[in-house]
Amino acid sequence: MKLKDQFRFILQNMKKNKIRVFMTVLATAMGCAFLIVLASVAFGLHDSVLKDTMESREINEIEIAGYEDDNGTYRSINDEDIARFEEMENVRTVTRAKVVGQEITASLGDDYEGTISASSTYFPAELEAGARLAEGRLPESSNEVVIGHHFIPLLTPSNENTEDLWDEQGFVKEELRYNEAIIGETITLELKKIEDGEESTGQFEVTVTGVMEQPSREWMWDQKVYISEDLLGEMEAFTGTPRADLYDPSDEENEGLIADGYNSVIVVAANLESVQGISDQLKDQNYLTYSIVNEMKQVNMLFTIAKAGLIFIGTIAILIASIGIYNTMTMAVTERAPDIGIMKAIGASPKVIKRIFLLESSYIGLIGAAIGIVAAYIISILVNIGLPLILEAVFEEELPAGLMFSYIPFSLVVIAIVICLTVTILSGFRPAKRATEIDVLKAMRREV
Amino acid sequence: MIDVNQLTHHFTLGKKGNQTKLSVLENISFHVSAGEIVTIVGRSGSGKSTLLNLISGFIRPTQGEIIIEDQKVSNFDESEFAHFRLNHMGFIFQNFQLIPSMTAFQNIELPLILKGMGETARKETALAMLKKVGLEGFGEHYPSELSGGQQQRVSIARALVLEPPLILADEPTGSLDSETEEDLLQFIQQLNKELGITFLIITHDDEVARIGHRTISLADGKIVESGVFS
Ligand SMILES: Nc1ncnc2c1ncn2[C@@H]1O[C@H](COP(=O)(O)OP(=O)(O)O)[C@@H](O)[C@H]1O
Ligand SMILES: [Mg+2]
Repeated sequence: MKLKDQFRFILQNMKKNKIRVFMTVLATAMGCAFLIVLASVAFGLHDSVLKDTMESREINEIEIAGYEDDNGTYRSINDEDIARFEEMENVRTVTRAKVVGQEITASLGDDYEGTISASSTYFPAELEAGARLAEGRLPESSNEVVIGHHFIPLLTPSNENTEDLWDEQGFVKEELRYNEAIIGETITLELKKIEDGEESTGQFEVTVTGVMEQPSREWMWDQKVYISEDLLGEMEAFTGTPRADLYDPSDEENEGLIADGYNSVIVVAANLESVQGISDQLKDQNYLTYSIVNEMKQVNMLFTIAKAGLIFIGTIAILIASIGIYNTMTMAVTERAPDIGIMKAIGASPKVIKRIFLLESSYIGLIGAAIGIVAAYIISILVNIGLPLILEAVFEEELPAGLMFSYIPFSLVVIAIVICLTVTILSGFRPAKRATEIDVLKAMRREV
Repeated sequence: MIDVNQLTHHFTLGKKGNQTKLSVLENISFHVSAGEIVTIVGRSGSGKSTLLNLISGFIRPTQGEIIIEDQKVSNFDESEFAHFRLNHMGFIFQNFQLIPSMTAFQNIELPLILKGMGETARKETALAMLKKVGLEGFGEHYPSELSGGQQQRVSIARALVLEPPLILADEPTGSLDSETEEDLLQFIQQLNKELGITFLIITHDDEVARIGHRTISLADGKIVESGVFS
């Protein structure tokens, strides 16, 4: 019997009981749509997270926290290490900084001051990594500095009432800020030192030559002062400690408390693809590394588990729908038993009978899946339009742009079709087998 | 054409643990040559239908063998027998056994579909067959819209459409009036003469038995007589 004829045969049979077939298809479609929409949430959120991460420049970065040899002895990164990193393949640049080990009070004239941090910065690498000046130029001599983008907005006027100093975002209110040109101005950096148990302060005057551009993320605040290596050297000479850390160098207990060297080293990969390779290589060489890509591995795994879980729950819905298919097929076999008997009598082989019924159940499954997929896409679009509106209305908060609640990738569609077809074919299996076991004589006597 | 050798058939009755054996056929042997019309007669319950069902492969013998066209069909599995039926046997039943949801034409077409014949050839063959049994113009009728005689002709057309060498009939005239019966018998004789089709016909009707070249008489599961009907 040709496939075309088998198909015509099942269509004819299905027409005989349109409502029953329709209900079964509907149940299957609902199960399938449920599975897809449910899983699409995990796909959508995962996609949003990935996109968000991919857009940031940090995705290419590998932070190096230090070096730990096989015995577990730690040391911080030095120039030799950095030279080695720079030699590595696919490394675009290596940014390095020594962050001053204490809070610094910065004052601008008599009227403004703030607590800031300072670090020595190697600007060529910083520029290579994508940092830009919003205004001014790079420092050229040891007492010239560049300030972070949020240095000014966080500088507080010393004669104002502190209570309503701040705006909603946490910055000093626009009208109270220092609002004159900053380039060329002198700021005073005040450091503390402890000597023989006695605390005292020292002051360093620097000239601002430039202001950094706003950081890539809105939530990142940059109120640093970027100083030169030489100035850091002067500060270290003042405190008598590495990176001008605040402790008593004359106290023997503090011997070797702070390791000399860089404490903020970032290897920037040339592209996203090479991050993993570089990171693995560095790890093999005993460097302590951290990268978003590594972090993303865990995030990805989490989402994969979530997707699998939701698909599993969705599969249960399809399984429930398959009970309907099983029922429909069983009834179809029972109803058609006399016809099946006659067909067997004149020479239809059991295989053909079985195939016809399996074809029928998988056809129901396929139509159900098709309708379910279309419905799922429509629901997904509605969710993406509607849910943000609802959430924004309820929580009165704007959601991040580009956030996708539901996303249906092609792979999810394939998964749904495979699950749907497998389940429906399986549920048609027993009825189909029963059809092949129909006794010809009983069927012709209308006894089944 | 058909060789039946020492065929025995028992039915088991009752539920498990309390079964009784009903012996229906005991050690039956006979031969049917190609081109013969053989009728099987006997009282109701003598085992005629059981014999025919065994030859058709609808049930399996307890003992003995059946050979049709040099093939030992009693050893066939269900699939093989189905295939054999489709290609070598035609069936005429007392109750016609047409599929009620199919038109006369579709019923006749069914064996051709099962055989896998292409659509054009199929339509032609089925139409020619419809003409041959005198039902031209009735192709689109459903069985329920046809008289008993017409239905039986549809079932004969279905039995003939694949041109089998052997046709088995279990009380083919049982549901027909005498006039229609006469037509049918003539038609059978004509098919036998013109196409050389072998017929094995069960009947308890003398009129039918008369058209047989040979008659086998069954009683209590045994052949009591075999020869020309008298
Ligand atoms: N499926 C069956 N199960 C049990 N007994 C059966 C079955 N079919 C027929 N019989 C018995 O076998 C005997 C022969 O039946 P059958 O071959 O139909 O006789 P006939 O066709 O000559 O009237 C009868 O006694 C009948 O009751
Ligand atoms: Mg009988």
